[in-house]
Amino acid sequence: MKPAAGLHWMRSLRFRLLAATLVAVALALVLAGLLLASLFRDHVMRQFSQGLNAQLDQITARLEFDAAGQPQLDPQALTDPRWSRPYSGLYWQVDGANIEQQRGVLRSRSLWDATLVLPSDALADGAVHVHEVKGPDGARLLLVERTITRDDLRATPWRLIVGSDLRETVSAVGRFNGVLAASLAALLALLCAAALAQVAIGLAPLRALQRRLMLVRAGTAQRLDGMFPQEVQPLIDDFNAVLDRNAEVVTRARAQAGNLAHAIKTPLAAMSQAAAAAVQRPDACADLATLVEEQVGVARRHVDWHLARARAAAAQGLPGARVTLQPVIGGLLRVMERVHAERRLTLQCAPMAADLAFAGEVQDLQEILGNLLDNACKWARHEIHVSATPIESAGGGRLRIVIDDDGPGIEPDRRDAVMARGARLDESVPGSGLGLAIVNELVGLYGGSVQLYAAPIGGLRVEVELPRGIPT
Amino acid sequence: MRVLLVEDDPTLRAQLRVGLEEAGYVVDEADNGRDGHHLGATESFDAAILDLGLPVLDGISVLKRWREAGLTLPVMILTARDSWHEKVAGIDAGADDYLAKPFHMEELLARVRALIRRAQGLASPVLQCGTLALDTRSGRVTLNGQSVNLTSHEYRLLSYLMHRPGTVVSRTELTEHLYSQDFDRDSNTIEVFVGRLRRKLPPETIETIRGMGYRLVAPP
Repeated sequence: MKPAAGLHWMRSLRFRLLAATLVAVALALVLAGLLLASLFRDHVMRQFSQGLNAQLDQITARLEFDAAGQPQLDPQALTDPRWSRPYSGLYWQVDGANIEQQRGVLRSRSLWDATLVLPSDALADGAVHVHEVKGPDGARLLLVERTITRDDLRATPWRLIVGSDLRETVSAVGRFNGVLAASLAALLALLCAAALAQVAIGLAPLRALQRRLMLVRAGTAQRLDGMFPQEVQPLIDDFNAVLDRNAEVVTRARAQAGNLAHAIKTPLAAMSQAAAAAVQRPDACADLATLVEEQVGVARRHVDWHLARARAAAAQGLPGARVTLQPVIGGLLRVMERVHAERRLTLQCAPMAADLAFAGEVQDLQEILGNLLDNACKWARHEIHVSATPIESAGGGRLRIVIDDDGPGIEPDRRDAVMARGARLDESVPGSGLGLAIVNELVGLYGGSVQLYAAPIGGLRVEVELPRGIPT
Repeated sequence: MRVLLVEDDPTLRAQLRVGLEEAGYVVDEADNGRDGHHLGATESFDAAILDLGLPVLDGISVLKRWREAGLTLPVMILTARDSWHEKVAGIDAGADDYLAKPFHMEELLARVRALIRRAQGLASPVLQCGTLALDTRSGRVTLNGQSVNLTSHEYRLLSYLMHRPGTVVSRTELTEHLYSQDFDRDSNTIEVFVGRLRRKLPPETIETIRGMGYRLVAPP
């Protein structure tokens, strides 16, 4: 019965809820982490280059030119001690226009004997450019440069470069990313716990329902008691209705089985007694065959009667049952024509509305009309007339089915007797004598009625009133 | 008259077989729907008695297949559930009559007799051919009101011919309908029985049509 493990997980409501939540949360956190890291990195880099720009401005302001037009810069004028400590991470350099000979004409002391090599690019006067290059000790450097030209002398452009080590910035970004990842992971764990709790609390009624169901299965409870969330309550109500109906059907079936067993015991006892007597006096058992025949007949009537009742009872309590009259009557008339072909009867069915329907089970309608038509065919001389019409009454729509035959009919004072169970007025015509009684019982179960009259064509008229099905 | 009996309950099948054979029918039987369908579709029968609750293939399906294949033999269905629903389904599937279990043997025999007569378009249970009369109910044969004593084989042969007055019936057809499929059909028993019948009835009653078969002619 247990499905495969993978399938089992997919079919778990809890797993589905958890999986969906976790995927969404993890995705959101990863995206947030990436965004925050990139924002922080941008911010730090901007700060960093702003600092460099300030340094560049300072260098630019301190730069002077001698009579030959060569740039001069007094290292004493620069206050930052990093300018003079070798490989301190903060450098400046002045390149001439002729890059091959004039690279690094002036350099900070911190550069020691190294020069900064910049990609050559066309520069507008005064504009600031940013580059990233390898520094003297192999560290990554961020450089800002500016080209300046003295206006009063022969125009020789000079490139002023200020560079700074990115090591600290990179490590700061790294530290920030580490902390960010750790806090996001903690957040993820927290959200997971919340999701678990949510699913557990949300699905708790289902687990309670499962326990109730197990009680029902174990037989300790008859129905699913208790209030459930409004999403599942309709389901529970329907299920309870099914359980109630089941219990009712089982009770009824038990009662009927009991009745039937009881009813059959009597003929069995009679036969058993007769058999015992026959064993004692084998010479005086001439009547044994007749007795067995008789008692088997009695038992058979009981079986027929209870079967018919069981069929009728099973149909009860099914709301919305509806069966169109015309096809049922048509099918039964075909049976009658075939089975009573010998008698050459004329079976006439008056035209009826195509949507005229009976509010009940098709089998019950067949049982009612089949028995009545069969009776009519057994007694009729030549003709049988069938008609069905809707009638209006106080308790909702009903319909009336009339079956006339031209047989001998039944005297008015004997009409009640034939409706009684097992009555047979004429033993010469085959039949169990249950037909009319079963019809009466079935019609009664549907709250209808059966009336016997004299038919205008000479024989018996049977009028059946039944609840009418609502046209769809 | 040859009858196909399809019934899965061995007790009921044996009872039916005995009853039918005592009434002068030749019986072939099957205990499931598939074999029953095959027998009915390949052999010649005068009627079939078909139980509805059969193993392998249910009775309604057997009946529908026969009718779809154009088989017209009269079929009587037996049902254990005496419900009109099943009766309607059976008749609509092509059955000619139904009988609900349990039933009396006499009723079954009466219905089968009626089915076979109806299939030949004969209305009366007493078959008449001139002064010769055969009462299918009692199995009595009379000539000019005088009782004629026939053995069961002679009766079967005459009954088959009486059901088809004026029609030429071939020797093969007679063999097929008067003996079950296990019978050795090469023998010339039909001729022997025709000879015996001619001695008991006016000889010209059974006419031999050379190369075709026999025909029943109203005796003078």
